Amino acid sequence: MDDMSRYIDVFVDETKEHLQNMNGSLLKLEKEPDNPEYINEVFRSAHTVKGMAGSMGFTRIAELTHRVESVFSLIRDNRLGVNSDLIDIVFEALDLIGSALENIADYGEEGDIDVSETIGKLQTILSLTPSEVSSQEELLPSTSKKEYSLEKVDFELNQFDKQVALEALDRGFNVFKLRIRLEKGTVLKSARAYLVFNKIEENKGEILKSIPSVEDIESEKFKDSFSLLITIKMPLEKVKKSLLSISEIEEVEILEVKKEMLLEEAKKTQKKEERKVEESKGVSEKVEKHKVSQTVRVNIEKLDTLMNLMGELVINRSRIDEITKKYEIKDVDESLSQLTRITLDLQNVVMKIRMVPVDYVFSRFPRVVRDLQRKLNKEVNFVIEGKETELDRTVVDEIGDPLLHLIRNAIGHGIEPAEERIRKGKSPKGLLKLMARHEGNNVIIEVQDDGRGMDVEKIREKAIKMKLISESAAMQLSESEILNFIFVPGFSTSEGADQISGRGVGMDVVKDKIESLSGSVEIETAKDKGTTVRIKLPLTLAIIQALMVTLNGYKYAIPLANVDSTLTIKSEDIRKIQEQEVIVVRGEVLPIVHLARVLGIPEKNEEVKEFSVVLVRVGMKKIGIVVDELLGQMDIVIKSLGKLIKGVKEISGASILGDGSIALIVDTTSIAS
Amino acid sequence: MAKGRILVVDDAAFMRMFLKNILTEGGYEVVGEAANGKEAIEKYKELKPDLVTMDITMPEMDGIQAIREIKKSFPDANIIVCSAMGQQAMVIESIQAGAKDFIVKPFQQSRVIEAVTKVLSS
Repeated sequence: MDDMSRYIDVFVDETKEHLQNMNGSLLKLEKEPDNPEYINEVFRSAHTVKGMAGSMGFTRIAELTHRVESVFSLIRDNRLGVNSDLIDIVFEALDLIGSALENIADYGEEGDIDVSETIGKLQTILSLTPSEVSSQEELLPSTSKKEYSLEKVDFELNQFDKQVALEALDRGFNVFKLRIRLEKGTVLKSARAYLVFNKIEENKGEILKSIPSVEDIESEKFKDSFSLLITIKMPLEKVKKSLLSISEIEEVEILEVKKEMLLEEAKKTQKKEERKVEESKGVSEKVEKHKVSQTVRVNIEKLDTLMNLMGELVINRSRIDEITKKYEIKDVDESLSQLTRITLDLQNVVMKIRMVPVDYVFSRFPRVVRDLQRKLNKEVNFVIEGKETELDRTVVDEIGDPLLHLIRNAIGHGIEPAEERIRKGKSPKGLLKLMARHEGNNVIIEVQDDGRGMDVEKIREKAIKMKLISESAAMQLSESEILNFIFVPGFSTSEGADQISGRGVGMDVVKDKIESLSGSVEIETAKDKGTTVRIKLPLTLAIIQALMVTLNGYKYAIPLANVDSTLTIKSEDIRKIQEQEVIVVRGEVLPIVHLARVLGIPEKNEEVKEFSVVLVRVGMKKIGIVVDELLGQMDIVIKSLGKLIKGVKEISGASILGDGSIALIVDTTSIAS
Repeated sequence: MAKGRILVVDDAAFMRMFLKNILTEGGYEVVGEAANGKEAIEKYKELKPDLVTMDITMPEMDGIQAIREIKKSFPDANIIVCSAMGQQAMVIESIQAGAKDFIVKPFQQSRVIEAVTKVLSS
């Protein structure tokens, strides 16, 4: 069992789920502090994690969860109330567990995380609550029986007990003195003892007396051994054997008690004896409806490989398709169309396997919002809609940070403090909505607040001040064009960086991140009404729609997401402004670039009268890309170029086409800049 | 030939895997796994294992209830409960319900094997 590393993956995964579960339940619990469902949920998760961490030898996690479990056990028994301070501390513990877990995932160990402070806080809560179940080890009576030989063990029988024993002997029963010793380090000793009692009763025996008393055994007030006086029909050896069949019993000593011995004992002082059988405090666990879904954990790399193979399959199918057409093989047609349908289905399934609900990232935000509210003293009603919307796993992994930034912005800058809101005639509690939904082949995620909105005039001023635009030009820009300035690196209208949203990623980073995922960001805002940031993301990154073009006989792909429109222009339409070729489209002056020149490919020699131009939109910029020929739209499977030619900025990848030829994928972002 | 056919019941896949490895290394065959009490009952009926390791705290149906149900139809069932520190009362309840022995988390290989061996040989 030395090699624990094989368990790490499943340990990390399951603990993560439990952490999320506890975080969610805590948030709900804060709103409904008496709801037993949430209390039990946290208790159970902490309990499970404790067990797992203990087995793995991760002491920090085990220690923390042990305290959390104890705290929630008190809450469950109504001996401790829930308040926000307590929840703060538990959150703190969960965060530490989270960091330890990350270290475990990365390096296989918990790392140097200091948990003592948090444990101290939890311990304080525990020690302030009168406890019934304190550690028994220290409370052991110092008088606990020394190792007398079994003969000398005195059960201090009263008259009645002796009568019973004597009668038993007369009826052919045996009377035995037993001493049972448990293995060192046995836990739950009283339950172990209970097994012994149970075994004796199963064998039709009866326990007359015990040392220490039954109550003391039940509350674990004994060290390693206890003694019993029993009556039983079974012979000595059999009793011994049956008791040794219980695990963790180290030794069973048995001595037969004869009639004479009993009579002798009668002379000894009689003592009163009370024997209350304490009812075992059965804590009834509430059975909860918690559907265990049937899942298989799969490494994402395997899914990537599957997707790749899928791509190959699509490519090869297209090749067969072309060959069939070329040689006009009719018989193949039908089976080929079958194959086409199956590959399409398969492609869909593979795509779906890679999809995870956005809840995967959304679920961490309620906690963030709660913490921000407490920190900033703002009241926010946080609503999540469409958390079941599915998105490619790789995309979901990447959108967490940008969304976090938007949420911080909304609470830090957007939503006003309660007094200000009341003055404006709004409800004192702000509304923050995080919404996701499907729209065609895209997923739309919106972060919407009903706060103060952005001041377009302020942004205009700032843009002029930062010399991003001339004053006269600025006055001509529409509101939405002005709003685009907040995506410029270093652009912020708030005075000085504050702790909440001035730091970390700015809007430019949000935008860069989203665009690197082939998505786009839009802002809608109205003063004192609020702001909506709309993120549009493709469902998957592995297969994209592209506009196919040719350059000097070779095929190139331009991602359709960036394409605005295509047009044909005559050579005399091209004008020059300061060495830059431009064209005028519907009154707009647009710069154009020749893709061949950018890529350093020899251009066609003959004089060209007409050009095909692809208008692409990259952020606020729109440019025309001149190509030789437009071929049309196509679904392509993206392949990376590998390390060797990674440095080529203008090309973001490649795709293998149906005829086996290769098309390079044009990176419009770098061409536009 | 395995020393016994065992059904492992625990809501945490981690724990199931952990126990499974311990038991397999100890020469036992884990013939099935279940993630809650209900599944455990179904699996028991289907597999008729020689022994069951049963976690107590589980969603849907807890271990104690499952023990009662299994014992109702199969009075001879060998069941070992898995508990954690501090679950004394529940362990006793499960023994009353018919569990033959118990093991305590974090599991130690030797103790698990000892418990299983003893229950199966008695």
